[in-house]
Amino acid sequence: MLALLASLAAVVALLPLVGVAAAALSGETAAIPARDILRYGATSAALAGLVAVLTGVVGSLAAWLVVMHRFPGRDIFAWALALPLAAPAFAVAYAYADLFDVAGGLRIWMRADLGFDLPFEMRTLPGAAFILSCAFYPYVYLAMRAAFVNQSAQALEAARALGCTPQQAFRRVALPLARPALAAGVALAVMETLADYGAVQFLSVQTLTTGVVRAWFVFGSLTSAAQFALPLLGAAALLLWIERWGRGGRGYENANARWRPLPVTSLRGGKAAAAAVFCFSLIGFGLLLPAGWLAFAFLDVTPDWPRLIQAGANSLTLATAGAVVTVALATGLALGSARVPHLARLASLGYATPGAVMAIGLLVPAAMVWRLAPGAAQGFGAGLILLVYAYAARLMAAALEPVDAGLSRVTPNMVHAARSLGRSEGGAAWTVQLPIARGALLTAGLVVFIDILKELPATLILRPFNFDTLAVIADNYARDERLANAGWPALLIVLIALPAVIWLTRKIAASRPGDPA
Amino acid sequence: MTPRLTIFASLAAALSLSACGQSSEQAPAGQAAGEGVVNVYSARHYDVDQRLYEMFTEATGVRVNRIEGSAPQLIARMQSEGAASPADVFVAADAGALWRAQEAGLLAPVASDILNAAVPENLRDPEGRWFGFQRRARVVAYDTAKVQPSEVDTYEEIAGPRFRGKLCVRSSDNVYNLSLVGALIEAWGAEKTAEWARGIVANLARQPEGGDRDQIRAVGAGVCEIALTNSYYYIRMAAGDDAGDRSVTQTVKLGFPSLDGQGAHVNISGGGVATNAPNREAAIRFLEFLASPEAQTLVSQENGEYPASPNVAVPAPTSAYADFNAHPMSVAAFGPRQSEAQALMTAAGWR
Repeated sequence: MLALLASLAAVVALLPLVGVAAAALSGETAAIPARDILRYGATSAALAGLVAVLTGVVGSLAAWLVVMHRFPGRDIFAWALALPLAAPAFAVAYAYADLFDVAGGLRIWMRADLGFDLPFEMRTLPGAAFILSCAFYPYVYLAMRAAFVNQSAQALEAARALGCTPQQAFRRVALPLARPALAAGVALAVMETLADYGAVQFLSVQTLTTGVVRAWFVFGSLTSAAQFALPLLGAAALLLWIERWGRGGRGYENANARWRPLPVTSLRGGKAAAAAVFCFSLIGFGLLLPAGWLAFAFLDVTPDWPRLIQAGANSLTLATAGAVVTVALATGLALGSARVPHLARLASLGYATPGAVMAIGLLVPAAMVWRLAPGAAQGFGAGLILLVYAYAARLMAAALEPVDAGLSRVTPNMVHAARSLGRSEGGAAWTVQLPIARGALLTAGLVVFIDILKELPATLILRPFNFDTLAVIADNYARDERLANAGWPALLIVLIALPAVIWLTRKIAASRPGDPA
Repeated sequence: MTPRLTIFASLAAALSLSACGQSSEQAPAGQAAGEGVVNVYSARHYDVDQRLYEMFTEATGVRVNRIEGSAPQLIARMQSEGAASPADVFVAADAGALWRAQEAGLLAPVASDILNAAVPENLRDPEGRWFGFQRRARVVAYDTAKVQPSEVDTYEEIAGPRFRGKLCVRSSDNVYNLSLVGALIEAWGAEKTAEWARGIVANLARQPEGGDRDQIRAVGAGVCEIALTNSYYYIRMAAGDDAGDRSVTQTVKLGFPSLDGQGAHVNISGGGVATNAPNREAAIRFLEFLASPEAQTLVSQENGEYPASPNVAVPAPTSAYADFNAHPMSVAAFGPRQSEAQALMTAAGWR
């Protein structure tokens, strides 16, 4: 039964990708020169590389500071560093592009009154890398923080006893031991980068997504658009493999460690200030500055409140329903993955697939529904079900990772005990595995909830009549070049996501096993 | 309650709450087809469109269901829905996008005397599959301190040596650029247009970035001396709420280059009736409403586009920028040239 459930979940997630592959093999291709395709590919790779390095360095450093040091504000930073998860990357992009626009108030003032101009532009490859890193570094931070919190005190003490400075102990012992977590966190950040829909387009940095959009929108060729997606799917598969490998290695290192407090260093004076400033600036760049600028620049625009409130309710409904369904499917997949191990990996591919491509793929299952049940399928409820399905297909990986991690804490012995006491496979899952993994399920639900609030491409193409989400409204305004009107809906997304993020991060910031609670 | 139950209970509560909020507003399931409804797939989603829909419902009693998105997405959706598509009307803000829907077989011919009378022949499909209700010109914003209006009164001059490194323009895959270049190919042939595109690339002050409004602001900031833009972006800035944008339009003015002495390149926003429209009668009425003088006037006033009908007076604030000649080329001519235009621009190095 569990294998059946797992297979169902995998089919749900794989159908759009099959759709992409089918589209890639049929129809007319667009005449996009190889030179351009190479340029898009190189830009995508460079962007992913820059984001990987930036998020990797910044996220690891922040996690190391917070776990291993005492400095003013540390206890707040420990969870607040993940808050930028609440800000959609496209909103961060709107804010920075506007704030640092060459024709914006800030730069005009600098040129006129200070006599110099900023030497950088946001609408460039480095600018996009900066913006996406601001938005995605929390993935690395959270993974590294968990790794450092759970690391072995003995190893660090041994390193110090052998004459390492704290810096050397970090570089030569803690960091290598945490390498799997680093790989996992960076893989998540890079997958988000590849899948990004709103931000990179808005910044007009020409990545493979540009190729997809150009093939589809200009040449009218879904075939070429889908073909552009294939290397991205390959990259996604590779990243997933890395991520898996990362999590696979995490378990063993502390298998027999006795839990002793970590050797925490107290920072003083300049060092303490530098640590606090560093952590604060991450939160500042990732959340406070962009959200603050949107608020400052655009809040005098009076929005269409009834429409925004309705859209907010819609976002909330979809995010909640999508989270419940996605977590349920991911749980089925995780429980059954012992039987069908490769399914889980495949089912995660949707997460790193560029949004524009996923939209093409999602039309395949949608078309089946629309054509099979024309009247009912266009009804409001059916439209929502289709959307929830789309979210499950896109975000399965986001739910699967925490669920899988939670379930792996249930040892086979426990399940065997339940089975020998007469429980069925499903019964053992329901009475033993799920209750133990409760926290992980909740974490997965919140992650999906936050992701759906920010989701664009599936919502744009599949939603029913007269139905907008906050992200859709923001995107439509930004496309109409009415950025000021996009400010409010973007900020509302942040406001709705923030409580979920705070709840999530405070939970993840749980104490080291063995510490007094 | 156990924690788990609490979570489920609050999830359920949240769901039912927002579901209730929904039911009063939304069309009930199955109502997508039937009397008194028109289903609009719109790639044009201005705030004023919402008011237009309300006016239509008030005048006719026909409710408007809408899905908004980008034109290619809506087209892909209509294709996926096939014969089961509930779409009655497709609305888009570019003749190229309308042509693409037409080419995909998604639009049906309409023979309406009202539409034919309201929309000039060069602003609609000869077979009646789509009609333009508003016009926009793709023209030049120039820095009045550095550029004389006479220096930008032809499209050739924009690509000429006078403006080496002085031009701002958005990326080549933008449909407004595609349509302009398509029109140039139509007028000049591919060879001269390719040379023109190379001139544009040579004139770039920076690699293409941002939208049309960003180009106008870049002129204001001194990054470039001239920019290619759609007329309504400038008009919105000049008449809008943003003080910074208004002050830009003090020193940056709108110039209307002429194509072969016959006027500026104009495009349309418009719509057509879907091939599989379940509510065809209502759809035609809806288009006729969009073509009515009051609808044209309202959009023109709120959005800075020009009415399509020559006999509808251009309202303020748009009227201040309406004194130019529009090229009489049929807007049906450049849609089919989009792919050619893109290939040509890409070859010229226009990103």
